[in-house]
Amino acid sequence: MDNAELQPQLSSDLITIMEKRQPEALLVEYSRANKELRNLKGSMDLIKELRTKQKDIEGLKALMTECPEDKEMLNMATEELSQAVEEERRLQNQLLQSLLPKDDADERGCILEVRAVTVSFIFLNCVPGTGGEEASLFAMDIFKMYERYSLKTGWKFDVVEITESDLKGYKRNPSDHISLLLQVDVQLRHEDLRIDTYRSGGSGGQHVNTTNSAVRITHIPSGITVSIQDERSQHMNKAKALKVLCARLYEIERSRIHTSRSKLRSEQIGSGDRSERIRTYNFPQGRVTDHRVGITHHSINDVMQGENLDIFIDALLLQQEMDAVASFNSEQ
Amino acid sequence: MRYGSRGLKTGDLQTNSQYVVGCEHWRDMVLSVEEGVLIPRPETELIVDLVGDLVEGNGELREGLWADMGTGSGALAIGIARILGPCGRVIATDLSPVAVAVASYNVQRYNLQDKIEIKLGSWFEPLKNVEGQFVGLVSNPPYIPSHHIIGLQAEVAKHEPRLALDGGANGMNDLLHLCHGAASMLKPGGFFAFETNGEKQCKFLVDHMQKESKSSFSGVDIVSDFAGNKRFVTGFRAKSHNPTNPNEWTVKIN
Repeated sequence: MDNAELQPQLSSDLITIMEKRQPEALLVEYSRANKELRNLKGSMDLIKELRTKQKDIEGLKALMTECPEDKEMLNMATEELSQAVEEERRLQNQLLQSLLPKDDADERGCILEVRAVTVSFIFLNCVPGTGGEEASLFAMDIFKMYERYSLKTGWKFDVVEITESDLKGYKRNPSDHISLLLQVDVQLRHEDLRIDTYRSGGSGGQHVNTTNSAVRITHIPSGITVSIQDERSQHMNKAKALKVLCARLYEIERSRIHTSRSKLRSEQIGSGDRSERIRTYNFPQGRVTDHRVGITHHSINDVMQGENLDIFIDALLLQQEMDAVASFNSEQ
Repeated sequence: MRYGSRGLKTGDLQTNSQYVVGCEHWRDMVLSVEEGVLIPRPETELIVDLVGDLVEGNGELREGLWADMGTGSGALAIGIARILGPCGRVIATDLSPVAVAVASYNVQRYNLQDKIEIKLGSWFEPLKNVEGQFVGLVSNPPYIPSHHIIGLQAEVAKHEPRLALDGGANGMNDLLHLCHGAASMLKPGGFFAFETNGEKQCKFLVDHMQKESKSSFSGVDIVSDFAGNKRFVTGFRAKSHNPTNPNEWTVKIN
């Protein structure tokens, strides 16, 4: 089956866009259509392969009915047929997977935000009456766990910010909160940003020599502000503030669109809801339980070293896939 | 390190920390500085952003010849050289031999000696042989009015070089000189960006350029820094025919 045969199955919008090729006005549309086509290519290739395989199967079956006397031939054909059927099943599965709604965020980097604004269950249960300090230490342990895991997995990462302001504060919200901010190429428009410094008012320039290079960026449409002051130059503070702003904006936009679609993903990201139980780290009993998949691992130390996180992650991925297949089937 | 750390002089507590440690963080760079050279300011970083936005969509500017006049530590020259294309070049000038030495050292540290040429001399003087060949001119010239020098932050007034700060009675001696010379130094379509003391100087210069040399420049504009001060005057050498120099008809733009 070639692409020409496939074309009528593509959305008519897509085809119109690709055929017009008007460079100026449709550039954005065109590149979006191009991206969609690229995304479809995998599935199209699989369909092609599947059709070929199905033809092979038909051919083999025909061969077997044509010459039922030739034992040797029949054996060979049966052997090949069982292989082909196996292949067909594999391709069908693969195709099904490729057709599941994809989460754009899957292939992007992310910013992991571990907040110690809360006291976890464990501390409430085992060390009653203690406050934010333990929560902070625990948050740091969790952060280190992900840091080790990232190193092992070979992910590239930068530590953006570690704030210690919560070390002393005692907040009573009873659930530890780990959230992922996705790091992406959000298109920011110059005119939507207000960039300022904390030095407003003075003459600046050659008048003063200051080491303060803090930068605050306000995204006017959303009202979000990001202030960064831990880098050594204004330029670097601005670059980091833009990065964090993009991540926050993307996350807002994404959760708006995807809440309904990817149930499990939003569970992973966490809403910060106090009743939400994601994972329990029980140090006295040495176990970690992931409540989303109901799996308990009995060596908490390994987990904290970033060793066995994959047990949970693989289970979560499997569950996500199964959820997706289920919702896919019910939609048909 | 040749321009490495210097000892803190006894009894001299109001000195600039950058002179003590011998360097300053500027954009994504670390520049060597020492007394006798102006410590590059965060405001000036913006000039590189302006140039960056411009060269991104303009190959001629990206691959052309730029000048940073009064380069000091070499900050602007190095910042710009790092965003130009493989054929882009910068000539940096300074009247101060100390600045020329420090800038040369910084250029070598960033391994840009093939891209940046440092010349000793006043403003356009060392550039005479390449007049009319520049696609861009940038400068952070001295712009503080002479009688304001004494009122500057103590660290600045006492320790930073007066040569890099004092712009004469109204602070605009050097800025006016730069504006006058820009037309003949730039190719048609070439860009200039000069840092100023603020709104008053910006407005004066824009008025002046529009009155005195109306046909020489186009798109003259004022750009604010992040603290909200009107800080830079920017613009382009007009692309139209200049009757005093008929040869420029042959220069093809875009």
